[in-house]
Amino acid sequence: MDTDTLLKDKKFLAIAVLFILFVAGIIVYGKYSGLLLMFALILFGTLALTWKENHIKIAGLAALLILSIANMAVNPMKFGIDFVGGTRIPVVLEKPVDQNTMGELVDTIKKRTKVLGLTEVNVRAIGDDRIYVEIPNSTEEDITFIESTLSHQGVYLGITDGEIAISGEDIYRSTIYALTGAQLQGGADWGVGFSVNKKGVEQFTNVVEGKAYYPLYMFLDRPSDVIIVLTEDEAKGNAGEDAPVGELTESLRDSLRLENDDIELYVIGKDDLSNITPKTNKTKAYISTDAPEDVRGLLYGSGFEVIEFEPEEMAPVYTPSRQNKMVVESWEAVGLLSSPTLSPEVTDGTSNYRGYIISGSVSGADPAERAKQKDENVKKIESILKGGSLPVQISLGSKTTLPASLGKEFLNLSLIGITAALVVMSLLIGIRYMKVKIILPIIAISITELIILLSLLGSFTIDLAAMAGIIAAIGVGVDAQIVITDELLKKTGQSLMDKMDNAFAIIKMNVIIAIVAMLPLLFSDLVEVIGFAISTILGALLGFLLSRPAYAVIAEKLLGKEE
Amino acid sequence: MEFPNLYKGDYRLLIIPPLLLILISLYFIPQIQLGVDFKGGMLVSMNLDEEINGEDLQTKLIDDGIDADVRVFDTAVGPKAEVEVPQNENLVRADELKNEFNSMVEEVALLEVRSINNASAMPEYQEKRVELNAIANEMFDLGGLNTRAELIDSVNELQKDFNDAYNSVYSNFETSITNTIDKYVEYNSISIQTVSPRLKAHFLDSARDVVILSAVLSIIFVFLFFRIIVPSIAVLIGALSDIVIALGVMGFFGIPFTLPSFAALLMLIGYSLDTDVMLTMRMIKRKGDPREKAYDSMKTGTTMTGTAIVAFSVLFVLATLTHIPTYFEISAVALAGLIGDLFATWGINAVLLLWYAEKKG
Repeated sequence: MDTDTLLKDKKFLAIAVLFILFVAGIIVYGKYSGLLLMFALILFGTLALTWKENHIKIAGLAALLILSIANMAVNPMKFGIDFVGGTRIPVVLEKPVDQNTMGELVDTIKKRTKVLGLTEVNVRAIGDDRIYVEIPNSTEEDITFIESTLSHQGVYLGITDGEIAISGEDIYRSTIYALTGAQLQGGADWGVGFSVNKKGVEQFTNVVEGKAYYPLYMFLDRPSDVIIVLTEDEAKGNAGEDAPVGELTESLRDSLRLENDDIELYVIGKDDLSNITPKTNKTKAYISTDAPEDVRGLLYGSGFEVIEFEPEEMAPVYTPSRQNKMVVESWEAVGLLSSPTLSPEVTDGTSNYRGYIISGSVSGADPAERAKQKDENVKKIESILKGGSLPVQISLGSKTTLPASLGKEFLNLSLIGITAALVVMSLLIGIRYMKVKIILPIIAISITELIILLSLLGSFTIDLAAMAGIIAAIGVGVDAQIVITDELLKKTGQSLMDKMDNAFAIIKMNVIIAIVAMLPLLFSDLVEVIGFAISTILGALLGFLLSRPAYAVIAEKLLGKEE
Repeated sequence: MEFPNLYKGDYRLLIIPPLLLILISLYFIPQIQLGVDFKGGMLVSMNLDEEINGEDLQTKLIDDGIDADVRVFDTAVGPKAEVEVPQNENLVRADELKNEFNSMVEEVALLEVRSINNASAMPEYQEKRVELNAIANEMFDLGGLNTRAELIDSVNELQKDFNDAYNSVYSNFETSITNTIDKYVEYNSISIQTVSPRLKAHFLDSARDVVILSAVLSIIFVFLFFRIIVPSIAVLIGALSDIVIALGVMGFFGIPFTLPSFAALLMLIGYSLDTDVMLTMRMIKRKGDPREKAYDSMKTGTTMTGTAIVAFSVLFVLATLTHIPTYFEISAVALAGLIGDLFATWGINAVLLLWYAEKKG
């Protein structure tokens, strides 16, 4: 088929357009390249199967192959710590949890470790009471940082007037409950009750005495030894364009106060930034990605460890107080999640052992919307008091470090292994068929499959099990091509079409059974071998949808003429 | 290449070798060793600076009171040693205590709160707290923590200390072993895998569920495809024999049953069905002399199995070079199963189908 006809072929054009879209997607959304490739595999495969034209089958496979190569070029492949070296820290849960909770835990730990930036931290559940955190290519500092992040996770602090009024360790987690309608007082729409141990009650009573209507700033993981640098726009937060910045920064500073560990605030353009120096050699400066480059440079220069946040995380949310002053309601960057007002009942200096209540009201008239808001508020306060979204306490087990040099050798040997498998297999096929015409396409298709699989799996993580799966897929993948070849070479007098149908009837069933047998493992929680399941299943799918049909087209052309 | 057609003569005799193999396998299956994943315990893997004598190390460790099993390998990346220590009683007990503690702690915390507000709840709290203290104290003893539950005021703190004690049971166990190893071995890297009784039970449960689901799904799909009883059963017998032979080989050669070998067995279900399906499709859906069809299928099938054997042999060589357990277990089990598949498919499945075809035709 010449170029002109191809360009007029709508189906081919559709593949071409999709291909360009996928390439763009892989370049722009590198993070999701694995999912994109998987989607491309299924889409091109389905198109090839439904449209049935020979050139579309080939085009589909070719498009996927080029996509995979592009992906490998643009996005670095990820390998497990067995191949690149690194450290594995087991996290032990206080008690076993169900799958949903485990999912939440894994997500939260991922978020907490994300601060490391460049390094890809791998977090996965092992059984129902353990999580592995794997840090590839890790330095001693990274590990210490992650260990401390993990072991100090979810520390709740309630701060009033620069003093700790209540800390998470004093709250009885099992006493945190949502108030029902009858228990709500003073026109509140929702409420959360909790009890505090003796020491906690005494501390709270002392700190808040005489401070009625002060805000109780509730922090989760309030950062320590930090300064925060805002642009003027960020400081205004939700208060609007015309809000008085001076007054607002006062409120901000109030929320950042804590004896001996104030978080200092600087507003670009208002405060003099040239003379600030870090308190310790570990002092961090929080700044948004939107802040001017020279400010960041200045902070680096002064010896701060600069940590960048999204502008939304840097901007505080204000709410007007009773005196119509703006009070900081929440501020993501510093872990300030809510700031309820102290009611006069709790500030009179008498100890209250019956427990405390945090309550509030919701706005809007729509009952469904109100119910939703109530529910959200209750859930939020409950999770803050419980120490964040971590529903159970965690502790760290003893870590294991794999040296990078060893991992590299393993990787090299494995890649040599893949090549060796290809070579020996080609020899075997060569001996069996003794025809270059047959051998070359089989090998070409095998290599294509290998590249696609490597690129796809490498977008997630290639660990030992996945690598074994890839080598297995090479051996198993060639099977269907042998079935096709043998059917075509048969001298039964059947038409080419019939022969092809025969072959595909067998192949279809093989693929379905291979996938069905592996599927339960894929959906199990035996993470150590899931990589093997994924590569086997993807290999089978790729073969069925694209590479076998493409091989059939080639084989038909080459062998069909012979008869 | 041309092989003689095995099915020309009395093909029923072909069933003898696979049957023998299956019988021998059945004898060896009970001897399969469970790996750390499914047995629980601790596996210490070390890359060594220089070669050591494994037996020597094992004797020394046993003299020091560690019931260890030492294996030494010479790999392409230097010598390597594995020390496997079985489940320690302390760990088992610690897990039991943790379960008991967790089942009580919330209730006692609520009672504590109530007793602060209301003196009448005090006796009940104290009674339950004594029970909880007993559990905690046993854990403190196990973990070597120098504290008593009675000295700890609130249940919150007790829970925190309890968890610390639980962790030190594990870390003490690990350090006691690594410290002893340190005395005798110089290594450049060490990795420790500890499988708690709980985790072991969890792995076993999950593996069982996966196997059942996988088998049921495969059986359903085979019947759906063929819709004829005898060939379907023949296919499934073929696959089952294959797994039995693979398991027998594991028992004979001491390939441990671990998560990777388990994954390889699952793959064998799908893979052994590959050739069985190809054979059955050709036998029942096509015209022609059954014996010729069987022979033709065999040519295709052995090539298919041959390529897979090649791929897994490469993985096996890689495993012996690097001694990566994952590679070794997957490749060894797969090879055993594939060789078993040659016997099972062409000795059992083909024979059953020929018998069925000739009886019918």
